[in-house]
Amino acid sequence: MMKLLSGWTWTQKCALIALALGVGAVLPGSPYRGTRVSLDMKELGLIVQNETDHISAPELADWIIQGRADYRLIDVRSDAEYNEYHIQGAESIPVGELATAELGRNEKLVLYSEGGIHAAQAWMLLAGRGFKHSYMLTGGLDEWKDRILFPRLPESPLPAQRDSLARVKSVCAFFGGTPQSGAAEDALTDSKRVPKLQIPTGGTGTPKAAGGKKKKKEGC
Amino acid sequence: MSAPLFKYGLFGDNMGLVVAFGIGIGFGFFLERAGFGSGRKLAAQFYGYDLTVFKVMFTAIITAMLGLYYLSVLGLVDLSLVYVSPTYLLPQIAGGLLLGFGFVIGGYCPGTSCVAAATGRIDGFVYLCGIVVGIFVFGESFSLIEAFYNSSSMGSITLPAVTGLSYGLVVFLVVLMALGGFWFAGRAEKKWAHIRPE
Repeated sequence: MMKLLSGWTWTQKCALIALALGVGAVLPGSPYRGTRVSLDMKELGLIVQNETDHISAPELADWIIQGRADYRLIDVRSDAEYNEYHIQGAESIPVGELATAELGRNEKLVLYSEGGIHAAQAWMLLAGRGFKHSYMLTGGLDEWKDRILFPRLPESPLPAQRDSLARVKSVCAFFGGTPQSGAAEDALTDSKRVPKLQIPTGGTGTPKAAGGKKKKKEGC
Repeated sequence: MSAPLFKYGLFGDNMGLVVAFGIGIGFGFFLERAGFGSGRKLAAQFYGYDLTVFKVMFTAIITAMLGLYYLSVLGLVDLSLVYVSPTYLLPQIAGGLLLGFGFVIGGYCPGTSCVAAATGRIDGFVYLCGIVVGIFVFGESFSLIEAFYNSSSMGSITLPAVTGLSYGLVVFLVVLMALGGFWFAGRAEKKWAHIRPE
């Protein structure tokens, strides 16, 4: 064997090594990691404790208004609930379909559900699949409604509050909501129905999910 | 520590640029050492008497492929975090043809023209100027071609996903294809040796 190889050029020997490695590649099969994963409980515990897995409603609203395209907004409720109302730019992936959904593990995902429990469960499922960049909308749609669509404004604001209230009103108007004022009982009146989804005219851009896939400037 | 190192947060954006700069310099250095800073050498592959470019590129492809494959099998690289450029079939075919025509006419591709310019070759500088003009024209006319630019999107597809073959088998077939290509290149170089300029 060695005698045979001694007559070969370096190029031919390299080609033989490549061929051997190629043949060897058939045996291990897929290099992608399977569905069995190990979780770092300490790391997960710290994430939950420090709430670094949360995005607040105003923060998400700012992202949408800015037209940021570096994240995907995922509505994990049922299709019917999604069709009734969803946050602008959200994609519908019910919790049960998360396991087979086409999600990149290097993508930033923001999950939301009605109150937050399903989103938290979805977050944990994704953590199990090795997703390290998924976040939950704090308080889910309930908080989205309370803080963005129907924020409760004081009837006689202090002068120092005026700027921040103007900001709240403009964000509310962007998403087609109506600021609330007066007693808490108003919360249950007809005026607090979820607005129909419509693309606001005041936005500076559309989020990634709503505007089609953008080409990433990465790679050669 | 697993790779990709940047995705696992080993370094941030700024350090990433420094690393990218180092990799770019290294890439350029080896292109130059392989003779890719010469437009004559690059154009020679279209005449058939010197297919060094073809052989070096294919060697790089199978070296990277085998390296990534075995590192991922060993758990040192998470392949699902490695960026796969999305496929836009028709615009990429058009772009490939455009690049090919530019390569045949100018004797360089964008990367090798930088190498040529860095080593002081005038034709490399001229080619780089052409690239800048091309970028300007592309940017200014983007609204006209945007629909085509985003057409026939197929997502981030890979050969195993498209063919349904196992990942390892595709690795083996690509190695076979490369070895066949090397054999073919050797034959072609002998056949067209008589037109090699002295």
